[in-house]
Amino acid sequence: MSVSEILNGLIYGDLTRSIEVFCPEVLLCVTVIVLLLLRLFSLDHKIPPYVIALGGSVVAFVAVLLQFVFFTTGGAETNLGAGETLFSLFQLTEAGVGSPGELFTGLLMHDAFTLFFRLGLTFFLVLVVALTVLTGIPDNEDGPDFYTLLIGSTIGMMVATSANHLLMLFLGVEMMSVPSYVMVGFLKGRRSSSEAALKYVVYGAGTAGIMLYGLSLIAGLLGTAEFAELGPRLAYLIDGDGVTLSNPNIVVTLLGVMMVLVGLAFKLSLVPFHFWCPDAFEGAPAEIGGFLSVASKAAAFALLVRFLLAMTASGGGELESLNLYLGLALGVMAAVTMTFGNLAAYGQTNVKRLLAYSTIAHAGYMLMAVSAMLVITNAAESSGWSAAQVQDGAARCVEGLMYYLAVYLFMNLAAFAIVALIRNETFSEEIEDYNGLAHHSGTMTVLCVCMGVAMFSLLGMPPFGGFFAKLLIFASVWNAGSIHWLMWALVVIAGLNTIFSLFYYLRVLKAMFIAPRPEGVRSINMSGLVGAYVVVITLPILLMGASPLQNNLSATARYVASVLFP
Amino acid sequence: MTPEAYIQTGTTLKWLLGIAWLLPLVGFAVEIFGGYWGKRFDPASNGKKTKLAAYMAVFCIGTGFLLSLSAFFIWKGATDVQLVTAAHAAEHGESHDGDHGDGHDHHDGHDHDEGHGHDAESGHDQDESHEHPHSNETLPPADDVRGQSPEEAEDHEGHGNDPYAAAFSGTFYELAHFGDLRISIDYYIDGLTLLMFCMVTLIATCIHIFAIGYMSDELTEDYEDHFVHLPGGKHFHRPGRFYRFFAFLSLFSFSMLGLVLAGNIFQVFVFWELVGVCSYLLIGFYVERHSASTAANKAFIMNRVGDFGFLIGLMILWTYFGTFQFANTDPQAAGDLGLFQMARDSHGQLDVVDTEEGKIVHLRGSPEDSERSIPYWLLIAAGIGIFGGCIGKSAQFPLQPWLPDAMEGPTPVSALVHSATMVAAGVYLTGRFYPMFTPEVLLTIAYIGCITLFIGATIAVVATDIKRVLAYSTISQLGYMMLALGVGGWGAGLYHLITHAFFKSLMFLCSGSVIHGCHHEQEMTKMGGLYKKMPITCWTMFIGVVAISGLAIPVLNVGLAGFYSKDAIVASGLAFMSGNATHFLLFFVPLVTAGITAFYMFRLWFMTFAGPPKDQHVYDHAHESPSVMTVPLIILSIFAIGCAWFGVLEGWILTSEPTHVAAGGTSAHHVALTLPSHDAIHGVHHTAGTAALFAAVVGAALSAVFYWKGLVDPAVIKRSFSGVHHFLVEKWQFDNLYDVMFVRPVHVVARWCTSFDKNVLDAFLHSLSRMTVVASSWDRKFDETFVDGLVNIVGTSTYRVGRSLQVVQTGKLRQYIMFIALGVLGLFVLLFMFFPRT
Repeated sequence: MSVSEILNGLIYGDLTRSIEVFCPEVLLCVTVIVLLLLRLFSLDHKIPPYVIALGGSVVAFVAVLLQFVFFTTGGAETNLGAGETLFSLFQLTEAGVGSPGELFTGLLMHDAFTLFFRLGLTFFLVLVVALTVLTGIPDNEDGPDFYTLLIGSTIGMMVATSANHLLMLFLGVEMMSVPSYVMVGFLKGRRSSSEAALKYVVYGAGTAGIMLYGLSLIAGLLGTAEFAELGPRLAYLIDGDGVTLSNPNIVVTLLGVMMVLVGLAFKLSLVPFHFWCPDAFEGAPAEIGGFLSVASKAAAFALLVRFLLAMTASGGGELESLNLYLGLALGVMAAVTMTFGNLAAYGQTNVKRLLAYSTIAHAGYMLMAVSAMLVITNAAESSGWSAAQVQDGAARCVEGLMYYLAVYLFMNLAAFAIVALIRNETFSEEIEDYNGLAHHSGTMTVLCVCMGVAMFSLLGMPPFGGFFAKLLIFASVWNAGSIHWLMWALVVIAGLNTIFSLFYYLRVLKAMFIAPRPEGVRSINMSGLVGAYVVVITLPILLMGASPLQNNLSATARYVASVLFP
Repeated sequence: MTPEAYIQTGTTLKWLLGIAWLLPLVGFAVEIFGGYWGKRFDPASNGKKTKLAAYMAVFCIGTGFLLSLSAFFIWKGATDVQLVTAAHAAEHGESHDGDHGDGHDHHDGHDHDEGHGHDAESGHDQDESHEHPHSNETLPPADDVRGQSPEEAEDHEGHGNDPYAAAFSGTFYELAHFGDLRISIDYYIDGLTLLMFCMVTLIATCIHIFAIGYMSDELTEDYEDHFVHLPGGKHFHRPGRFYRFFAFLSLFSFSMLGLVLAGNIFQVFVFWELVGVCSYLLIGFYVERHSASTAANKAFIMNRVGDFGFLIGLMILWTYFGTFQFANTDPQAAGDLGLFQMARDSHGQLDVVDTEEGKIVHLRGSPEDSERSIPYWLLIAAGIGIFGGCIGKSAQFPLQPWLPDAMEGPTPVSALVHSATMVAAGVYLTGRFYPMFTPEVLLTIAYIGCITLFIGATIAVVATDIKRVLAYSTISQLGYMMLALGVGGWGAGLYHLITHAFFKSLMFLCSGSVIHGCHHEQEMTKMGGLYKKMPITCWTMFIGVVAISGLAIPVLNVGLAGFYSKDAIVASGLAFMSGNATHFLLFFVPLVTAGITAFYMFRLWFMTFAGPPKDQHVYDHAHESPSVMTVPLIILSIFAIGCAWFGVLEGWILTSEPTHVAAGGTSAHHVALTLPSHDAIHGVHHTAGTAALFAAVVGAALSAVFYWKGLVDPAVIKRSFSGVHHFLVEKWQFDNLYDVMFVRPVHVVARWCTSFDKNVLDAFLHSLSRMTVVASSWDRKFDETFVDGLVNIVGTSTYRVGRSLQVVQTGKLRQYIMFIALGVLGLFVLLFMFFPRT
């Protein structure tokens, strides 16, 4: 295939459709360009950068939302009053957004799963930008830089969630990582911040190298980099040679997959590739911590699910044992990760560091769902699962993962946002400085109560969203236990871990609510807007727990997940 | 009236009065919450509160008055009632011209045409005896019971022979239906209901307006209560309670109107209790004053004693009648008769039959349970039980001592609740429930009233607190009303209820004005000569005094409101005595008391307004009240003068008179009694009126001699009759008697109970709890050493593991990179170790 052929294929092939689907990312790119141009023409003193950033991200969010609505309803009657007008404004067509399939000659994928993640990411971007406006973390001088990085990183994540090619996998991971390195070190004056950024960069570079090695092994072995081709070619390659270590192709495959997983494990901060996480979170501003802990994890999970499904898509045959083995290995990794995360959080005195370990633990919980998915999709015939059962079980795993991510978005963002807002008032992120905060009047009390909600939800207490998210994942993993006993053990370990986590979450709340207010502390007055923002992002935690919305969300997640298992 | 027109009128009346009834409740809700929030959210007020609550309350009750008035006109237009009855004219004609005897029963043949004007004085001055209609024409006897069959019922329409033709009953809302028991919010609207509505809303409006001025010192954030002494010689400070006062007043208005509107006796009971609660709240308005809170308790508890009888009566009625409804007047509803219809036939007669088990009363009702009956003695018991409630509420002997103490409440409360409306509710209920009372019960009522009126009047003679004199006077006047009802003067009793409401509320408001003007001085011994300082109050008070004394111009026979009604009562008493000579006290006591009444009322007036000032300090600081307080006085004094003129009021009352009253009759079931007919009362009217007037004039003259002219020093009399005086000052020793009879025994029993509780029950419980403590301490030891130990081991070990995990997190970049390599390698090794080799 010559270059001209590729160009022709691009131009005459699916370019219009690709651009139509890619529109939100393009919009974000435009926002970045506008931000930079403003700086160039020194307009950034007249128009605050956050206005541009907020506007751009809202528009992008609306664009994705419309795509999602158009996609799920097929462009038919919608509840949106101005739906038709908006659809035509973004020129959504049945052939374009309306139909799932590959984009850009197969580099990207467009389906409900991708749309769901892109929707979540843009929405999250809006919330984070709003939070940075409230906390004022980038000043006007740094604003364009900061938002460029933030939006750029988000574009990378969106690309990663729609990756359909090994190349895009690598590009996506790097695109979301590189801006985040800078953002971690954004507080230039602080030594710890710079140090954290350096650690993050070097660590990221190391794992990226390993991942690249793995990708080249896979591509070299299978002769393709397209996800759709990976599974069938592997099956063709292995065909009849036996899935043992004596088969060199298996060894290479195993090595390649494992090395790619190391790259993703770095993004997910799975043990033992989590070392960067506490240091980076402690050094970075809490807003960035919140962004990284939610957004990059969500993107990495989407990527992980897609990559693993592509690799194991051969369907049946002797490769099943390999895939099952991979699934179990992930399960073990999940168990180790959550246990380590929860136990290591015990001795922390810094809230951000504590939350960093908490995110490690949560990555472990979510990884359980992925491992159960692999186990279920590769259930041996002897386990007695029918095809429909397998489909349903796997879909439930992904549903649990997505539900968890949706709730996790709000509860983690709430926790980090409150940490950031309290830092702005007390200039401290140490737990002992949280003593008696709830005894302040006004907005601070609201913040403390919201922190309580977020913590209890992270802990998995009913009736908050975190409980139902955990329940969905635990149920789907327990379901997989009939295929391999390890899954049952995994649920038991996860349950124990939930109990372990009680201690350190409650320590924060104890400091806030029970510990007496230290003598001579000045009273804190915060604006009502801050309280309103926190309440707005805390409310969904409740709604996803004990309201009809819970049903809607899980139904949507089920629908999206079922797309992956045709 | 056709059934359709009847239903239409009924619906209109129902809604008019229903709204008038509910408006104060809305007002209450708004005031109690608005007052609370308004205080917090009105920064402009600067701690000074607004009078919004008062305006709201006045608006509600004022609108209620307008609605009541329009309801009255609609009712009058829709029914054939004659307000200015010839019967009334007859009374006055007779009082001039002497005997017409029984003659005017046959003076019929006169259709009382509407056009015949009884304008101005002419109606009284001329002899209009030729116009006497058949006294029954106002309330013609029906020859059949209602609701037998629709055709028959319709047949009776338009003939005016239905005893409930001018009454409208029905249901607002059915609350519950348990088997046969229907609990519903009913209404029963007749002339009496409308009259009570108009009276209550009018007086309440005046008093609400008056209270705006009287309570204005509550409009502050820092009210100093001079009657509450704190240690250190300080007075108690609290935020003002202006809005709360009006909220309570509104709640009271709602309850009182509900009581009057109620269509069944159970509903009456509910509102009966509600007015009791409001009274309790209002008496105890200055709750920090010890005297106020104990007075509130006293009122509440004494009323409960009476209500106990009420409840017994309710139970008896429910058991034998199976309904609580007064009467079912709907022309289209067959069956389901009310209490009155079941007890009495359309001529108002009880169907008493002698059986082996004693006398029983056959009850009328739907054909299937025509065998329903009630033992006669139980009917008496039920009547006395219900009347027991009235004794409590209307402060009759022996439950009268709470009323004077209730004067601890603010004066507008005394005027509204404790003179004009709530205490009169007992009289109203006795009148409303009249068909259920047997002659034996009536005799009881009469004697209770007789005793009460005498006790009240005698104590009033020696009381020196201006409000207490009025309170005893109220007791005495309520006794008059009860006596009138008891001796068969149904109209006279309720007549006096209305006139008394006007002049007594007037006098209370005047006393309030005096108290306000004298800076909360209530002792008459410190007043005197105030007529110069507060002329309006003085002369309106004078009108009230003349009205209650029953004075009139002898030749013209024109008097103020009280003259007519008191005449009617004394005449009823005289007529009763002439029928039953043994009960002569029922005439002489009220007659003598009429004189005493005039004496103590004029004493009050002279001591307060006339003569030289007795306390210069009080006199110097006294001032006339603002117009917001004096205008209600003037309005009320107009009614105190003229509300009984032209006979409208009496005619209005008589439209609701139970059928059997007019004809009188004899009864000899347990006690031989003759109840006087209207004619008999007319016959003695002149005599009685003259006697009463003479008594009143003597009383007033004596009073002038003692307290105005000072010809005789009251102190001399006091000394020479010191025993009697002491007895009266001690209120006939009732408080001491009750203290010895009830309060102390209860305390003794309570002490026994306490000691039993402490020494026996508590000891047992304490030993039990001690055992529990011992057992639980063992349990605790077990818990602490074994269970907790185990948990702690798990906890500390996980914690230690957690801490040790941090050791890896050194923060050194070089090591981290090495960990990546090690991690990958480790994974490698692990993967390959567990993967099948061959």
